[in-house]
Amino acid sequence: MKSKKYIYLIGVLPFLVVAFMYEIIPLIKIVINSFHPDAGGAFTFENYETVFTKLLYQKAIVNSIKISMISAIAGIIVAFFGARAAHQAKGKLHSIFMAILNMVSNFAGIPLAFAYMILLGNAGVMTQLGRELGIQALADFNLYSTNGVSLIYVYFQIPLSTLLLIPAFEGVRKEWQEASTLLGATKGQFWTRIGIPVLMPSIMGTFSVLFANALAAYATVYAIMMNSISLLPIQIAGCFVGEVKIRTGLGGALSVVMMVIMVIMILITNAISRQFQKGGKQS
Amino acid sequence: MSYIKFENLYKSFGPNEVLTDINLEIEQGQLVTLLGPSGCGKSTLLRCLAGLETVTSGKVYLDGKDITNVDPKNRGIGMVFQQYSLFPNMTVLQNVMFGLAMKKVDKKVAEQKSKEMLQLVGLGDKLNQYPAQLSGGQQQRAALARAIVTEPKVLLLDEPLSAIDALLRHSLQVEIRRIQRDLGITAIFVTHDQEEAMVMSDMIHLMYNGQIEQSASPTELYTKPRTSFVASFIGHYNLFDAATMKKLTGEDVECENVAFRPEIIEISKKPIEKEDAFLMKGTINVSLPHGNIIRYAVMCGDIQVDVDELFGQSELFESGDEVYMAVKKSECIFL
Amino acid sequence: MTKKTDKGSTIVILLIIIYLLIPLVVSIIYSMFSNWTGIVPQGFTLKTYATLFQDHEFLASLGRTILIAIVPIVLTIILVLLALFVTVIYFPKLEKYVQIICMIPYTIQGVILSVSILSLYVANPTFLSNRIIMLIGAYCIIILPYIYQGIRNGMRAVNMPVLLEAAEMLGASRIYAFFRVIVPNILSAIVVSSLLAVGIIFGDYVLVRNLASSAWPNVQIYLYQAMKSDSMKSSAVFVVIMAVTFLIAAIVLYLQSREKKGKKH
Repeated sequence: MKSKKYIYLIGVLPFLVVAFMYEIIPLIKIVINSFHPDAGGAFTFENYETVFTKLLYQKAIVNSIKISMISAIAGIIVAFFGARAAHQAKGKLHSIFMAILNMVSNFAGIPLAFAYMILLGNAGVMTQLGRELGIQALADFNLYSTNGVSLIYVYFQIPLSTLLLIPAFEGVRKEWQEASTLLGATKGQFWTRIGIPVLMPSIMGTFSVLFANALAAYATVYAIMMNSISLLPIQIAGCFVGEVKIRTGLGGALSVVMMVIMVIMILITNAISRQFQKGGKQS
Repeated sequence: MSYIKFENLYKSFGPNEVLTDINLEIEQGQLVTLLGPSGCGKSTLLRCLAGLETVTSGKVYLDGKDITNVDPKNRGIGMVFQQYSLFPNMTVLQNVMFGLAMKKVDKKVAEQKSKEMLQLVGLGDKLNQYPAQLSGGQQQRAALARAIVTEPKVLLLDEPLSAIDALLRHSLQVEIRRIQRDLGITAIFVTHDQEEAMVMSDMIHLMYNGQIEQSASPTELYTKPRTSFVASFIGHYNLFDAATMKKLTGEDVECENVAFRPEIIEISKKPIEKEDAFLMKGTINVSLPHGNIIRYAVMCGDIQVDVDELFGQSELFESGDEVYMAVKKSECIFL
Repeated sequence: MTKKTDKGSTIVILLIIIYLLIPLVVSIIYSMFSNWTGIVPQGFTLKTYATLFQDHEFLASLGRTILIAIVPIVLTIILVLLALFVTVIYFPKLEKYVQIICMIPYTIQGVILSVSILSLYVANPTFLSNRIIMLIGAYCIIILPYIYQGIRNGMRAVNMPVLLEAAEMLGASRIYAFFRVIVPNILSAIVVSSLLAVGIIFGDYVLVRNLASSAWPNVQIYLYQAMKSDSMKSSAVFVVIMAVTFLIAAIVLYLQSREKKGKKH
């Protein structure tokens, strides 16, 4: 009877084969590669040395973290007000807003980069409008810079973060707000002392998704900047594609660094949200 | 001079008028109940007093001052909600201290006062627990402590026990009443449970359809319902219109409705002779023991009359028995 | 009680909607006017669209995008269905590991996945070094989280073990019951997750660029190439891509809301 049961494991086999061939083994291989020279050879830390000593790669790490943090924080702030409004909104406005958020959350990558070039590129519609109307901030806006790219990142974070935060507002009960009002708290005091602490686990969860989303973003920034910006995904892809010689060791080390950054961010956000979860969930 | 006063109060949500011309006065130090079926406007009236709803027209006075347009937080009102109103990110003690902190009371004083208050509601050993770690009853005790620690002019309780199971509910009713009396707080209690209202209140205001149907003490409300709605809502009145009374007793009555309580009916297998009484005859349909009384549903043709008898006080009847009934006209209520 | 959306919320929502729609609307208008150098666009024309739909390269890239989506989606659905069937019924303890494998791609995303597959197989002497095969493999992995979650949620919603037991008591074999009772019941969940997967593959640039850019230029690659030469043409390509993307999203949204309503009744 028992041996018969194990026959069914055959059903899992195809899944495992594909998962191992295209997910597990490639990932293990890239980690192993990172400890060997590009051309092959004995175990070495030289790739990591290069990553942490060469200015180009140091800059890539710093820029990637910076742009991911900024866009994730901006996304969370807008999402907080957006989700609060969406939660409060009724009827048609609510459904239109939800539909637009859902649609626009698919607006990313090359098309998004293109739209921003039309809007704010050197000959962009807004840029020209800025020149015509004498608005210097618009006229002089340089999309092809770290700031310009950050702006696009913020754009694709907003629909995603708002959609992720809206359900959390269901958990902020009307009674808490009313009770705090009667006890003498202002609206601001309610949000800083009760609302946001209660939402904190959701905010942190959303933040880590946004951070990962920005850290790994490639198509948008590549379409705007090509290889002229130092960001981790650009440097990683550069090691494997378009070069005469594939640099598996260095690319591997950069990939590992990027994964480690992601994991660290997940650990940090988890630790913070645990701080706010002391009371446990109300059933 | 009354302590709380509603004057010609109207409230509408869009096209729906939920409160119509409410005039109500409440004495200081009393516990009064707003009683009524759901949707009658009792909670809305309470929230108008708290300032959580704006009134459409009319005035609200508290302690001699017109508070109709005063901010909720400046009205001096404490409130206990149905459930889940404790702030989940704060301990019980922090919850109770919150109102004092908002009033900028010195932290040490606030902590001392809050601890005393929690002692009073029987949560002295739960100071550092979070709301999610408490039972429903304990949560409501903590909510009560939080509402009264700031010494509000009036305490509002919006169906605070509706989510708590029956056994515990009764002990909490008694306890809320005790604390209210000890501290001499004026309190308004909202409920749809008439037994709860009877047990707790000095005064009951029965509401229906956005209006006050009757304001009376619990005993008076029970024995002298003023409208047929009150009669049907309170106790288990037998309530019949004139035409039905004619079919039932053969007598004409000069009013719209006649109401009489099940326990004042005399019932017997032998015909009853009595002056100034309605006489009826019917068949026992169902008999149901109900605590220490037994309730008979007697069918007189197609009309059902409910009769309550104390166990052991009279003979027992069985389904199918033919019975005679009498009810003194002086004990009937003609509406 | 009927209450209205308050003023502050309305303003916030409208501001966000405007902010989100500006890039879209401007690009759409741009595609329909031959000249937009001043404040007002001039020279309305749909000629760009007409030429675009006669461009074989464009149509081919569109066709390639659709074609390359089908194989990985069908394959992944079958793999996940089989794996979940066996683990949920016979080896519940293993289910956790299936879940972990399925959720990893969610965190690693495109760049790392594509370069790790590339470096593993690029020098392989067998068919595994074929660019299309690598791309299909990568797509299977990148859509895995969505397919997994869709199917798993579907199975939870129909309470699979109870349904299977009921079918077994009536004399059906477990495998027969699975395909005749469970699969039809979770079909809508499968359809929704497949559509999400179509959306992801349709929007993919990084995998196709790193793994197969010259061997299989999809519509995103086509847009990228067009952007460098002709902004009118590329704005028309943009509109077509966004139209398809939004159509897929709208169908998903519609199916999900129908599902929700169905459960309420």
